[in-house]
Amino acid sequence: MEGQRDTGLNMKNKLTPKNIILGLFVCFLPLLMYGIDAISLFLSRSDIYLDLPSGDYMLRIIVRAYLYMLLAIGLNIVCGFTGQLDLGYVGFYLIGGYTAGLLMARLGVTYWIALPLAVVNGALWGLLRGAPTLRLTGDYFAIVTFGFAELLFRIVKNEEWLIGGPNGLVRDIPPPAIFGMIFNQNWHNYYHVLILLILVVFVTYRLQHSRVGRAWVAIREDEQAAESMGINVSRYKALAFTVSAAIGALGGGFIAQFQVNISAPFFEFWESIFILCMVVLGGMGSIRGSMIGAAILGSLGEVLRPGFIIPYQFGNARYLIFGIILILLMRFRPGGLTLRKA
Amino acid sequence: MAQFLEQIINGLVLGGIYALIAVGYTMVYGIIQLINFAHGEIFMFGAYIALMLITVFGIPFWIALPLSMVLCAILGMLIDLIAYRPLRNAPRLSALITAIGVSLALQNLARMIWSARDRQFPPEILPTVFQGQNAFLLPGGATLPYRDVFVILLALVLMIALNRLIHLTKIGKAMRACAQNPVAANLMGIKTNQVIAITFAIGSALGAIAGIMVGVSESVTPTMGYYKGVAAFAAAVLGGIGNVTGAMLGGIIIGVAEVFGAGYISSGYRLAIAYIIMIAVIIIRPSGLFGRSTGHRA
Repeated sequence: MEGQRDTGLNMKNKLTPKNIILGLFVCFLPLLMYGIDAISLFLSRSDIYLDLPSGDYMLRIIVRAYLYMLLAIGLNIVCGFTGQLDLGYVGFYLIGGYTAGLLMARLGVTYWIALPLAVVNGALWGLLRGAPTLRLTGDYFAIVTFGFAELLFRIVKNEEWLIGGPNGLVRDIPPPAIFGMIFNQNWHNYYHVLILLILVVFVTYRLQHSRVGRAWVAIREDEQAAESMGINVSRYKALAFTVSAAIGALGGGFIAQFQVNISAPFFEFWESIFILCMVVLGGMGSIRGSMIGAAILGSLGEVLRPGFIIPYQFGNARYLIFGIILILLMRFRPGGLTLRKA
Repeated sequence: MAQFLEQIINGLVLGGIYALIAVGYTMVYGIIQLINFAHGEIFMFGAYIALMLITVFGIPFWIALPLSMVLCAILGMLIDLIAYRPLRNAPRLSALITAIGVSLALQNLARMIWSARDRQFPPEILPTVFQGQNAFLLPGGATLPYRDVFVILLALVLMIALNRLIHLTKIGKAMRACAQNPVAANLMGIKTNQVIAITFAIGSALGAIAGIMVGVSESVTPTMGYYKGVAAFAAAVLGGIGNVTGAMLGGIIIGVAEVFGAGYISSGYRLAIAYIIMIAVIIIRPSGLFGRSTGHRA
């Protein structure tokens, strides 16, 4: 076994009790959530009223958290693996959302075709955006990505012929269906996003532990040294941008059918920063880290929504907290929560 | 014709304001190679602080203006001290993420304190210069408010003063030395951290003035720093980041382009024009219009 690389397919030492329990937990989480409903219903019969959130609501939060995990993993490819700061990741999320949403709501294309088309479109735009930015590094790359996402945001906000009316909505996106079975329940969405997430984790993990992933890390550590070792820097960077964009668009395609209506405010600049926060919190360059960061911030973002813990008049206090998290992390733990050293 | 003339004047006013903000970005970038995202927020705080000083504490406008500048200068130095200084030797990415964090925190702090709604400077307490109805009549029927003349002249005077400060005084020399080579400057006995703090203070004070000017001619909102900040940053990039004269000219160009774009293309794409110019400059000529080509920047 000496010298054999971890290819991610060796399951022998992964079937620990901890992992099995975790797997079962993830698989039966909707049942657990609906179990809460059943318990509070049962208790209310005996006049005990627990103020528990409904299982459906909890499930929606979990679906969103999974979606953020998916997006964080996608962003991590550019930010963590190749070490470029992408401030416009939400642009690809937007492209995926509007591609799938418009295809389904306007042209009546079925979800199972619209989703792959959204991913392809996202990947295409990732490549298009990547081409002129290949030689940019650091701040300038960050600024171009930011400008790109903002331009897209302006377009969907202004072009009424495209997104329909003053509300700026693509509305009534039909739910996906197979042979007349309609998937519009929250637990459908749960397994749906879970499958997408597993797919994304698998692909990203395999890439990370392959020639490609090692090339990415080499580029991050020292671009010139990587180039002199014979790594085709432009090609690997372009690949990273494309894969990352495709994952973002996949998330967008999912959110289109999950939310039924999508509008411009979904894709504001701060959403990019929110996803970046997750990647940084978990530790850049680690898939596990991105997922943990997304789980924490995705659910924290929901808990800190105005009216729950924070009073309404402090509407956006959660963004204040995210800002402080970013500052403190960079100061005291630049490697994120999951990494031992910077 | 009258409309054209008025558009040009509006463009110059906006350009002057962008120039005032852009020098803050460019000076800091010139010395520590950091895009200080929080600069837009300082600009916004400048407007809010002046507004509060006037409406809550009843301080006259001409005293509130310098007071707000001083407070913003202190705020700028504090941000540098707390957030950026500990990261001087950290990777550039960390400092950039911190800057975004500071910006996010300050913007939402403002939203919490002052709520998200638009606020106006109450017209009755403003000096006569800023009253909208006082205007010169130009041939052809165009009007030229005193306010616009004041803003353009103020921006011009401050820019010239800044230029003289950088080129003629001792602290200006220290700044230029730090921008060229911080380590060597330090070895020559220049206290680098002090110079950086002063740079932040000057940039923030100019940003505060710009904020108040926007406040009296438009309105004060928590997001103004973000929108105007990005456009001003585009101006800094256009002029060649790190180059103060370039930032001034870049500000004027972006301001005029934005006003004309809004007037003749579509008002929804106001900001898009600044973004497009910024992206085009970065991709085609990263050193900007006036920047010297340093080969490997950023």
